[in-house]
Amino acid sequence: MSGDVNRQLSHMSEASSCYSDGNSSEDMDEDIDQYYMDTTDDLDLDCPSKTDDPEYFEYEPLQVMDAERLLNEEIEALCTKLKVSPSMAKMLLLRHNWQKEEIIENYQKDPSGFLIDSHLTSRRKHDNLIGPRPMCSVCCVNYPRDRFHGVTCGHMFCQDCWDMHFQTQIQDGITTAIECMAKECPVLVTEDFVCEVLTQPKLRDKYSKFSFNDLIKSHPKLRFCPGVDCAVIIKAKESKAKKVECQTCKASFCFRCGISYHAPTECDVIKRWLTKCEDDSETANYISAHTKDCPRCHVCIEKNGGCNHMQCPECKYDFCWMCLGDWKSHGSEYYECSRYKENPNIANESVHVQAREALKKYLFYYERWENHAKSLQLEETTTSKITTRTQEKVMNNQGTWIDWQYLLRAAALLKKCRYTLQYTYPYAYYMDKGSRKVLFEYQQAQLEAEVENLSWKVERAEITDRGDLENQMDVAEKRRQTLLKDFLEV
Amino acid sequence: MANIAEQRIKREFKEVVKSDEVSAFNIKVELVNDTFTELRGEIAGPPDTAYEGGKFKLEIKIPETYPFNPPQVKFVTKIWHPNISSVTGAICLDILKDQWAAAMTLRTVLLSLQALLAAAEPDDPQDAVVAQQFKENNPIFQRTARHWTCAYAGGPKSDKELEEKVVSMKNMGFDEHKARVALSTKDWDVTRAAEYLIS
Ligand SMILES: [Zn+2]
Ligand SMILES: [Zn+2]
Ligand SMILES: [Zn+2]
Ligand SMILES: [Zn+2]
Ligand SMILES: [Zn+2]
Ligand SMILES: [Zn+2]
Repeated sequence: MSGDVNRQLSHMSEASSCYSDGNSSEDMDEDIDQYYMDTTDDLDLDCPSKTDDPEYFEYEPLQVMDAERLLNEEIEALCTKLKVSPSMAKMLLLRHNWQKEEIIENYQKDPSGFLIDSHLTSRRKHDNLIGPRPMCSVCCVNYPRDRFHGVTCGHMFCQDCWDMHFQTQIQDGITTAIECMAKECPVLVTEDFVCEVLTQPKLRDKYSKFSFNDLIKSHPKLRFCPGVDCAVIIKAKESKAKKVECQTCKASFCFRCGISYHAPTECDVIKRWLTKCEDDSETANYISAHTKDCPRCHVCIEKNGGCNHMQCPECKYDFCWMCLGDWKSHGSEYYECSRYKENPNIANESVHVQAREALKKYLFYYERWENHAKSLQLEETTTSKITTRTQEKVMNNQGTWIDWQYLLRAAALLKKCRYTLQYTYPYAYYMDKGSRKVLFEYQQAQLEAEVENLSWKVERAEITDRGDLENQMDVAEKRRQTLLKDFLEV
Repeated sequence: MANIAEQRIKREFKEVVKSDEVSAFNIKVELVNDTFTELRGEIAGPPDTAYEGGKFKLEIKIPETYPFNPPQVKFVTKIWHPNISSVTGAICLDILKDQWAAAMTLRTVLLSLQALLAAAEPDDPQDAVVAQQFKENNPIFQRTARHWTCAYAGGPKSDKELEEKVVSMKNMGFDEHKARVALSTKDWDVTRAAEYLIS
């Protein structure tokens, strides 16, 4: 079956031509031999090779101490270069997202202009103190001049008022964005001044904790692990929308935006999609059906596995859970199940018809997105079943644990492929019409067919030949990689 | 009440009372109790606006942490304005939120509110219904705002036609204020306003 699909693919896309084209048994054997060679050094699904994997991404986990050291090195380097205080350098880096070269260039061109733009000094130095015992304009108390302090703008206030100002701001979680107390003065207060004035040591700790968070968040190559109670900071070479897995808490997420990994969809597109799904959740509610009727004999069928290739237990009819069409037409060149057919005349229709069409289109994509999410959950059950069965086999001396590892690998790969497939739907939903969309939908359909084939075989893993299963794994993963190579923005 | 807050309010109270603005009856502050935690403000509607001739009362609450946090201010007098809730009187104004600075005073706040009456910011609305009317049907908005100024803030220019519509709905058995809100919301269409009140 996989051979069929391979043949069709080669004329569609350049990138896919590297696949085995043949469906003769020798070619198949070669594939399998190749696969076994790859697996001899324990193929790890999540450590792809650098050369041709579109998802390859280099990153390392840091502890808070390491991250602090790293930031301090960058801060010190800027201090030395610009001859400014560490507090000032820290603010500059934070306000300009750690773009050191850009900061140095702009500072050297026009130091005061750059500091004004960065809200670190003002155009003119203010002087709001009158006489030998001026009045503080915040608390309205007169003090001798030496009780007054201020930052680079020159606005002076009494020490107690600064202290209260900092306390109030830090309680609200504001640290690196604390401004001068004067009316309409945007000048920021730097760390050295805050720490000098603050009287409560507890607040000083709070200040460093919050400001550390701000520093990490502003740094394009660092990101807090979003895992619950996880203190790990991920450091990457570049800020890209690639997958990161935290070894400490096992959370996996997109490095650039921090939410669940979403290839091939881009960060802003997935956000739009998720917001839309939330806003329209009531409209989409009716979709969550667990049972459907067999399209041939009308017996009620419950879906309890992840696979969308269904077989009626009564009449043995093979059909698709998503579109209720004959399964035989799936995986062919005319596979239409994942493709939404828009009304070609929609521009001439009334507003009412257009609105209904827009809803129909959204529900089409949403239904598929939601269905794969559910399948992923159901496949968790399959994985735990496989684990239990493997344990039983090993206990009964039917092979070793290593002999049966390929079953768990198949289940893990299935999850990975279906996950990507799920995220192809928001991508397609927002895609403009045209030849690129045609190619995308073609590859999406190919991936969909192979994922369901793999799912079918994984659910019947014990009666499936190992070679057959591993070949199916290979084909599905290659479909996934082809799609990502062509459509994942790098 | 914290020392700094009380000190400041006493001082500010004098500042507003003796300032030129008061002599022109433009802004006013009164004490409600002797703990300085609650005050009553009043601003006059700016000339050449729909609020001209009206006097708008404000409720001002001073937090413990004043002036390091802004005072809490809302309109007591009912007003039709995109940045002020026609129901609660809540105000959407940056200096009452994150743009507050400790060196600002009640005088700054009252003058800023007066400026807000003169120049609404419909893209940052508090009352979505009013903001929409402001943007999409400005002549009706101006008439409605003037009518509210007359009905609630003692404004001089009564609008016979609008007044009659309110009366006609009163005669149908609706509460006067509710009728006015419904008519204002439905661009003074009596049938739609009645439907709105019944549904
Ligand atoms: Zn002071
Ligand atoms: Zn200042
Ligand atoms: Zn983690
Ligand atoms: Zn992302
Ligand atoms: Zn059947
Ligand atoms: Zn289908």
